[in-house]
Amino acid sequence: MAAIAGSAVSFARPVKAVNVNSVPFAGLRKDNVAFRLHPVSQKFAVCCAAKKETVDKVCDIVRKQLVLPEGTEVSGASKFTDLGADSLDTVEIVMGLEEAFKITVEESSAQSIGTVEDAAELIDKLVEAK
Amino acid sequence: MLASVSSLVQTNKRLDTDANIDPRSFEFKKNKFGKPEILWQSDESSMEWPLHFNISHTSSLIACGIAMDTPIGIDVEEKKRKTVKSILSLARRYFTPSEVDYLAKISDSDAQQKEFIKLWTLKEAYVKALGRGFSGAPFNRFSIQLETNSRIQISKAAKVCNDSASGCDYLSENWRFALAELNSSYYMSVCIEDNSRGFENDSVPLGLKVWKTIPFIEDTLVSGTDAVKLIT
Repeated sequence: MAAIAGSAVSFARPVKAVNVNSVPFAGLRKDNVAFRLHPVSQKFAVCCAAKKETVDKVCDIVRKQLVLPEGTEVSGASKFTDLGADSLDTVEIVMGLEEAFKITVEESSAQSIGTVEDAAELIDKLVEAK
Repeated sequence: MLASVSSLVQTNKRLDTDANIDPRSFEFKKNKFGKPEILWQSDESSMEWPLHFNISHTSSLIACGIAMDTPIGIDVEEKKRKTVKSILSLARRYFTPSEVDYLAKISDSDAQQKEFIKLWTLKEAYVKALGRGFSGAPFNRFSIQLETNSRIQISKAAKVCNDSASGCDYLSENWRFALAELNSSYYMSVCIEDNSRGFENDSVPLGLKVWKTIPFIEDTLVSGTDAVKLIT
């Protein structure tokens, strides 16, 4: 497996590489990108990471909804289920995000949100589309 | 999860004296929408009907519902669960107009909050029984009618489903519900497919049994006691 350090690859905006095939992708993090060397050509979809302000605002809304103890780590990578959000929390969070960003989130999009980063990316997309 | 299903299936074996299955032989898979299911071998001749299960949990309780030959959905919630947003604003955003009206008519805020939780668990149980995820049965496309002393009914939300087909394609109305209070602290909703094939009203009883389980250690039948109060 080849690892490319973040500093050796320069992009105009932070990007996240998403493997659209079913080949497993190990250890994908914001600060490094790991590619599996494979003889068959693979297709990659490159999408942009969410804006930092959006991620921060989402973290804030999530903290308030889940009444998390002081010092609980909430970041882009945080999974809602790991933070203790059940389905009722999730819909309240989605509603809070809709009010804060003045958007409407369809159930089909909401279902694919697993992390704070996912939510922030969706919000950026919806806000841009307005 | 494996432990509680195995333990509960061992309990289930008491009901069907012909069953001769080792729960440890169960394998699990997820359907294409992510719902966990038992991987049932078609040559499984030792059990007449396939087992279905569904799981729900709150911070202090795990519930596992098991049914033979019918998909099942279960949801549990603390009776006194408080929401950050107001009940009516949540209902207006996610529920149908008739459900909003039902809640709006309740003047006592505690009672209103309890009815909201009941409706929430019933709708969750239905979506989980269908097994197509939240987007397969959006909450505002179907209504649950909760009338005292009569059977819980489900119907497609007429206006939304007639105006646009999207989101209503997989909604069916042939489902039965049970709503119960557990230990005076939780609401539990169970939803199974209605196989009564045209029987009027409730001629076929649901046959719900509830066990309090410490996996691999103890099972106590609690249905019929004060621990389980059937609401309908």
